[in-house]
Amino acid sequence: MPTTTAVPGGAPPPPSAQQLARGEGDAPAPGRSVRRYRPEDTRAGYAFVSPWLLGFVALTAFPMLASLYLAFTDYNLFRAPEFVGLDNFADLFTDPRFLQSCQVTAVYVFVGTPIKLAASLGAALLLNTKHRGQGVYRSIFYLPSLIGASVSIAIIWRAMFIDDGVVDQIQQLVGLPAGGWVGNPDMTMPMMILLAVWTFGAPTVIFLAGLKQVPTELYEAAEVDGAGPVRRFWSITVPMLSPVVFFNLLMETISAFQVFSSAFIISGGTGGPAGSTLFYTLYLYLRGFQDFRMGYASAMAWVLVIVVGIITAVLFRTSRSWVHYTGDVR
Amino acid sequence: MRIARKASGVVAGAAAAALALTACSGGSGEAGAGDALDTEEEITLNLAWWGDDTRAALYEEAVELFEEEYPNIDVTTTFVAWDDYWTARNTEAASGTLPDVMQMDLSYLRQYGNNGQLLDLSEAFDVNLDVSGLEEELLAAGTVEGAQLGIPTSTNTLALFYNADVLERIGMEPPAEGYTWDDLNDWIVEATEKGAGEDPVVFGGFDYVGTLWFFMQRLIQQGIEPFTEDGQLNFSEEDAAAFLESTAELRDSDAVYPIERTKQIEPLTGFMVSEQAAEMTWDNFMAGYVAETGENIEILPMPSGDNGPQQFWKPSMLLSASANTDQPAAAATLIDFLINEPAVGEIFGTSKGVPATAAQRDAMALEPGSVDEEVTQYEEDVADLVTESAPLPVEGFGAIEAEWKRLHEELLYENVTVDEFVEQWFAFAADTMPAAE
Repeated sequence: MPTTTAVPGGAPPPPSAQQLARGEGDAPAPGRSVRRYRPEDTRAGYAFVSPWLLGFVALTAFPMLASLYLAFTDYNLFRAPEFVGLDNFADLFTDPRFLQSCQVTAVYVFVGTPIKLAASLGAALLLNTKHRGQGVYRSIFYLPSLIGASVSIAIIWRAMFIDDGVVDQIQQLVGLPAGGWVGNPDMTMPMMILLAVWTFGAPTVIFLAGLKQVPTELYEAAEVDGAGPVRRFWSITVPMLSPVVFFNLLMETISAFQVFSSAFIISGGTGGPAGSTLFYTLYLYLRGFQDFRMGYASAMAWVLVIVVGIITAVLFRTSRSWVHYTGDVR
Repeated sequence: MRIARKASGVVAGAAAAALALTACSGGSGEAGAGDALDTEEEITLNLAWWGDDTRAALYEEAVELFEEEYPNIDVTTTFVAWDDYWTARNTEAASGTLPDVMQMDLSYLRQYGNNGQLLDLSEAFDVNLDVSGLEEELLAAGTVEGAQLGIPTSTNTLALFYNADVLERIGMEPPAEGYTWDDLNDWIVEATEKGAGEDPVVFGGFDYVGTLWFFMQRLIQQGIEPFTEDGQLNFSEEDAAAFLESTAELRDSDAVYPIERTKQIEPLTGFMVSEQAAEMTWDNFMAGYVAETGENIEILPMPSGDNGPQQFWKPSMLLSASANTDQPAAAATLIDFLINEPAVGEIFGTSKGVPATAAQRDAMALEPGSVDEEVTQYEEDVADLVTESAPLPVEGFGAIEAEWKRLHEELLYENVTVDEFVEQWFAFAADTMPAAE
């Protein structure tokens, strides 16, 4: 802070309260440099980020580049990689198991994600109403998300859906055809989607935060105009919430493409029964670590990156027509 | 400023440490496996195996004995289940950091050997490693193109197990002596019919054609060696189709344990939960079956084929040393101890198969009626039937074996026909195995 003595007609007046608040009061007087550029600062900066930088280069950037290279090679971990051009990519599209894994993953993403988002929005709407003990409910609904991706839940899920498991017993009680889901290729996908939907806590919390942001005046005004609850939901809640819906849609779609551990546990690492849980990432793993086709697995990884990239780009493109940001002038 | 200097120092220190650590694994290569073991030098060996907690406890006991005898050697141990074991070893092989001594399987011996990952242990013969207690054919099973890459610790052979208590409940006799594959199929159908009234329902057997080893067993009985000397398939698509078709009636009439149920109880099998009367597998599974079912399990030779009841010994597992080990002499010494020391034989019993050396076989406490006694007795009984040496699996065997099992699952779910199975499997094998040189 420059010390200022009030010299009539000389030095500038002392900074105002607003200037101080804006941090402008400290502006160096002309010709008096308070802070110079010091190369040591740069060095210190690099030293501080070096753990992250090392990790990024060694554990992320280098492996990514390596896998990009391997995608164009035949590599079995033992022999040196042999360059084969685009063979791996060409092989992908004649490999029935690859196509099966694409189909399984597509069903999971395009059926599972909307259901999960609808469920989480529904839960968020319920949790947004005023009730006694609402905080407890919020915690309970969030709980599955904390443990849903874990190995133990996948094991419990499996146990619930086998012959004479909880689900089978309930089915018998209500007189529906009995039998475990785990051994039935037609029922494993519903089982996997249910597991995903059950862990709706993370999008629910985000939806809930979004709902809290919707100004109550809008609802009050609509109510005065005679709008019922359904009309209020579609005309106020949905448009006001659309940025949050978009965010959740992106995150959940991308994470659905990456599902691995639950399928690995439930199918015992095989993608069975009969390939019905052969998710893309699981098949990638099997090609790499069971068949030792690392080049092939790398090619698969890059195809996944490109596909997820394209889908994300398409979502962004379509978002212009259905996502409304407050303050947008159209 | 001061902070910056300190931080740079830390970074530099870390980098130096990393260099030092990597330098450690550089290897000195002074002493070979054939040089006498230095009993003064402080040596650390890594030992890895696949298996469960029970086996781990046995290994730890054996390692403790070893460390008592060689106080200058410290053995660090790791173990995981079968599947993860190979994932870990493959990754290590790629980076040249395999454990000094590791449990090895016949399915992978050629793959590791062909790629120069394993130490030729013949250098250590008569110095650090005594193999005089092993039969010649058995020892030969651990060689690839003249190099002794693994030492068999124990043997097993295929067998048919039946659950005598289950048979009594459903009123069945076990298959008669000298039974054939066709007899077995008829027996399974009959047992399934008789077991239909039980709760839970009892099946005669599983659709055994899903195991590649049984196909190899059957080929050998037909006088066909499954693989050529240079590691190629030596059977035709017709052979494979005929084998798969041989149980088509069992599948069509639902006489075999249902795949839907199998998938749900994995990694157990129908036999292990007493819902299946008989099952074929390796004879060292006896201990597991008895423990799992708690019932009276009996053991029979495999069914006879067209040319008779020939069977083969397979080294149930081998011990190998890494080609990159810094301590080849100590590694050979550890292998020597594990295969020859009578006390180690007593510790393991037949849990890894019947011990390969007479010294260890004799050391087992064979109480009459015990699992060890029955398995050892079985191997003595079938010794006359063993006229063939074990087929040395081709490189990539692990993968083609897994693919066979997977396609069989698709077959049971009726997603593929036998012809599609055969076509897809041969295509996969051609893709996976190295081409003939």
